[in-house]
Amino acid sequence: VTGTQMLGISLLLGLFVLLAGCYGLLYCLGRLRENRNLARLARTAYLLQGVTAGLLALSALDFWWKALLLASFVAYLPIPPLTWRLLENLHQPEESHS
Amino acid sequence: MFRSQHLALKYFTAAMTLFGIMVVAGLLASTHYVQDGFMLNRLDFSVVKMLHIDTMIIWLLMGFIGAVYWFLPIEFEREVEGIRLAEIMFWIFCAAVAVVAAVFIFVQYGPATETSLWLINQGRKYVEAPRWAAIGITLVVLVFVYNVVATAVRAKKVTGIMAVLMVDLIPLFGLYLIAFPSITNMSEDQYWWWWLVHLWVEATWEILIGCIMALALMQLLGTSRRIVEAWLFIEVALVLGTGILGLGHHYFWIGTPSYWLGIGGFFSALEPLPLLGMVVHAVYDAGAHRMKTTNKPAFFWVMAEAFGNFIGGGVFGFMMTLPQINLFTHGTQWTVSHGHFAFWGAYGCGVIAVIYLALQKARDAQHLESTSWKWSFALLNIGLVGMVGALLVSGIAQAFYERAMGGSTLQAFMDAQNNVWFVQGIVMRLVFGGVFAAGYFVLMYDLLTIGRRRTAAETLKPRVAGGPA
Repeated sequence: VTGTQMLGISLLLGLFVLLAGCYGLLYCLGRLRENRNLARLARTAYLLQGVTAGLLALSALDFWWKALLLASFVAYLPIPPLTWRLLENLHQPEESHS
Repeated sequence: MFRSQHLALKYFTAAMTLFGIMVVAGLLASTHYVQDGFMLNRLDFSVVKMLHIDTMIIWLLMGFIGAVYWFLPIEFEREVEGIRLAEIMFWIFCAAVAVVAAVFIFVQYGPATETSLWLINQGRKYVEAPRWAAIGITLVVLVFVYNVVATAVRAKKVTGIMAVLMVDLIPLFGLYLIAFPSITNMSEDQYWWWWLVHLWVEATWEILIGCIMALALMQLLGTSRRIVEAWLFIEVALVLGTGILGLGHHYFWIGTPSYWLGIGGFFSALEPLPLLGMVVHAVYDAGAHRMKTTNKPAFFWVMAEAFGNFIGGGVFGFMMTLPQINLFTHGTQWTVSHGHFAFWGAYGCGVIAVIYLALQKARDAQHLESTSWKWSFALLNIGLVGMVGALLVSGIAQAFYERAMGGSTLQAFMDAQNNVWFVQGIVMRLVFGGVFAAGYFVLMYDLLTIGRRRTAAETLKPRVAGGPA
């Protein structure tokens, strides 16, 4: 890895996780406010994360790191909806009780 | 209020004082970067850096201990067992910290003998306290463990949160013992030393703050025990699952076998996943309660904790955790940038949130609100983000010019230190450090005054109800 490649890759890696965070945050806000635009923005953030993963797949990283990044890109997708559903299930008995 | 809650308030006071010393030492250390020969032979960089880092660890530890002493009687509905001993240990702890700080400032270093190890400095980064003080800290932690376990035994009751906490206290105490041996082989020494540093920070402290936040959420938002405990168990599993072997990212370049490159990189890459779950949880809770709370400062600091942990630990950590990148970035200001953000996000914000919670009860305030908490919140967080941004710029310049282009030679190091990007980043770090320091002073003012002035409704209410005014 050269200096320029190192800079590009590390910035893409940071962006990769940041976009995952944006996806999670926008997904939650979309659900909270029942706002389709926010849900669309969440999907866009996830797609951009996919673009970042694609760029990283073309980078000078070793094969196994690329594979790990692509696998973790897939793993990020269900985290917000699954966590949300889990939280709803946890909260439901309390809410119905109150 | 219980005696242990009074003790908790003392711990919080000590923690906030040490937080201030950490800020001052940090400002002095960053001035060293900007001005050559600053306080030369009086307070060298090595000394102020040591003060900065050690006070950071101790103020957070005191904050955690204070938080547990605050919540213990609420959890067990009784006074903490051995509270007298705990009160004595608090003063011993404070005296030891004061003596060690005085030795660091006025004596600084001694000859390479056993006497220096015992009386002046153990010489191991983050745990430099001389051996007598390290033994004192061990005793304090032992008494703390006894307080928690004995209270649970006496109460004949163990909640899920307390069970996790008690299990966590074993490695919290045990790992600190690694501070003692003086191993002369550098690789071997670093191998074990990282157990202490990493497994404290990315495993046992994470669980400890998880337990504290679970207890805080029940008090702050009235979230049910079932929910916080279920979520705590999931988070503990995920944090330990990724964090323990994430230790490997410290083993890349210290002379350990090359398989650590794969193990460290793999588990480090997974570390942001549970952090994303925490962000989702924070937003869900904020929405479920429609941002309505009687303690806004605590609520906002809890939110800052979730997001700060994700960005500081997750985003900034992931930028440099894969071995091919870490080869260039380790040990530069880039790492410092990540460290500042992660510690603040994961721990600093959480401790401040708990202090606000405790103050609401201690001052019997129905609503905790002020203008100054907003100022301190803004100044501290803007200052912190500015600092880590500036350090990131300097770190990138170092990684690029010194490591990647210059091949890590002494000349390359010197060239990078004079590089315009590095220098400007370092200057801006000092500027934003000033903003952060201003935020600290406003925070202290707010902590001293918030909730003391009653609204007319609050003053009248007990009288109408016939309670004590």
